[in-house]
Amino acid sequence: MGQKVELACIIDDDKIYVNLVKKIIEIKKLSENLLIYKNGKEALDYFKEIMENATDENKLPDIIFLDLNMPVMDGWEFLNEFIKIKNKLNKKITLYVVSSSIDPRDLERARSFNLVTDYLIKPIELKKFEKIFEKTAA
Amino acid sequence: MLSDLQLNSILEDFDIAYWKINLFSKEITWSEHFNLLVGNPEIHEDRFEFFINHILHPDYRYDFRIHFEQLIKENEAFSFEIKLKLENGKYRWFECKNLKNKGHSSLRETAVLLFVNIHQSKRDQYTIEENFFYYRETAEMTSTGGWYIDTVHKNIYWDDVSRKIVDCPKDFQPAYEDRMNFYAKEHHNRMKNAFDKCENYGIPFKLEIKMVSFQNREFWVRLTGKPVYNEEQEVIGIRGVLQNIDDNKNNELNLQNSLDIIATQNSRLFNFAHIVSHHLRSHSSNLSLIVELLRESKTDRDKLDLLANVEDVAGNLDNAISRLNDIVSIQTSLKKERVRIKFEEAMEVVLASISSLINRENAKIVAEFQDLKEIRYIPEYLESILLNLITNAIRYRQPGRKPVIFIQTYVENDKEYLEISDNGMGIDLEEYGDKMFGMYKSFHQNNPEAKGIGLFITKNQVEALGGTISVSSTVNIGTTFKIQF
Repeated sequence: MGQKVELACIIDDDKIYVNLVKKIIEIKKLSENLLIYKNGKEALDYFKEIMENATDENKLPDIIFLDLNMPVMDGWEFLNEFIKIKNKLNKKITLYVVSSSIDPRDLERARSFNLVTDYLIKPIELKKFEKIFEKTAA
Repeated sequence: MLSDLQLNSILEDFDIAYWKINLFSKEITWSEHFNLLVGNPEIHEDRFEFFINHILHPDYRYDFRIHFEQLIKENEAFSFEIKLKLENGKYRWFECKNLKNKGHSSLRETAVLLFVNIHQSKRDQYTIEENFFYYRETAEMTSTGGWYIDTVHKNIYWDDVSRKIVDCPKDFQPAYEDRMNFYAKEHHNRMKNAFDKCENYGIPFKLEIKMVSFQNREFWVRLTGKPVYNEEQEVIGIRGVLQNIDDNKNNELNLQNSLDIIATQNSRLFNFAHIVSHHLRSHSSNLSLIVELLRESKTDRDKLDLLANVEDVAGNLDNAISRLNDIVSIQTSLKKERVRIKFEEAMEVVLASISSLINRENAKIVAEFQDLKEIRYIPEYLESILLNLITNAIRYRQPGRKPVIFIQTYVENDKEYLEISDNGMGIDLEEYGDKMFGMYKSFHQNNPEAKGIGLFITKNQVEALGGTISVSSTVNIGTTFKIQF
């Protein structure tokens, strides 16, 4: 393995899923560090704080896994807000929408966002996870 | 007395031909014009017989002969409408009558028979009769009546079909002042406006409107009205037609109704697919993720950890399925009968089931059902609606404030309402309004009890029985839910 992703971010309210992904990342040593938020608002607040305080860009993740269905602020709302601040964040961030929804309308809608790299349907196989991280780190 | 020459030219101008009959010799002389009309035939036989056999239409031969003889013998008045074959071989209508001699009947020497061309007016008459026939048949078949309002003398005229449509006696004469009584109350304004605009400004109208029959039955008509002007270009009346479209309109309304039902069912199906896609799949995908990790894990400890996760997934899956069942059961219980149910009784059931919650939160519930004591509803629904809205109100109380919930029922414009207001934390409707009744939407952070399904079910239950639910809310002040049954 070559380079490793420094910081990954999971935005998802499903505790079990988050735990499992955390395990995968640990076992496969895919990322040095991990940010976990249980809804869009918590994640957005974090990004806004970094933006406003111009703090260390190392605190920004290289990759985001965004769930769609979450309380308070769902994935769609997060995307709409994130578009507005993304350019002000001084870092290339890869974003994947990850959802258990197989509804083609969700797929289409997610892909209509330029900042969405891809739509991943849960469950994501371990091998797929590894590939995604490798691509992002390269 | 005019000379024959003068007479001839006058008669010719009016397209009138004549016969002169010598009563002694029975000799018949045709006027020049008559000769011309029938094409100057060469006649070798008796002139009268020639006329009967070659010029007069066969239908009239018998009658003509008899009356002609009576004219000659008895000087009886002769008046006939007959068809003559002209020089072009075509039959034309003529009125044939004798010229009356005034006075000295005993001194009669000649009789005069006039032939007046009436073909055009006869044809017009046929056309009118024919048109009238088509008009009447069309009016009957499409049940379209004609009407006229004399706006100057304040009179109303209806034709037979109009009377039939309104179901009134044939000789009924509607009074001008009563004209609004034939329209449904809710359409009085529309009708008045249309009449006034037409009468004052000559603006025609075409309306679909509800009328009231003589027997007080309401029915739909299509009504057109156009102004009638006098020579000074002032409106002196309104006339138009009136068509009974009750069957069509009812079909249309039924169709719309079916469409609405299908649309709601379709949206429920979408919701169902949504639940399956988002919430059942998330558990199954977690399961397969666990299985994959189990394969990878090397130590027993890791494996045990993962097994604990399986237990969690199983619990979540169980929850999701029972919620799914809640939603599906809305559909099945639709087949249940509505019964008369007292709000008071439904309320008792609900309060008993959440008495511990009410006591724990020290909530005060005020219920006023005086204005509307009972409705026809499915009892389980009413209880479920009350339960959901009351527990919501308590759950989202304003911290530090004693929760007060005010419940009342009432009737407004013939519609039945239930209102539930609280003094809770409220919600920003600008931000969340459109998602309020969506599924798995919870807006308040840090509330582990929020499952985000209650309002979705409430809305579905209300709508399944043809009602609507709306919400108004102010942050930190409280929320009011209003249900129209």
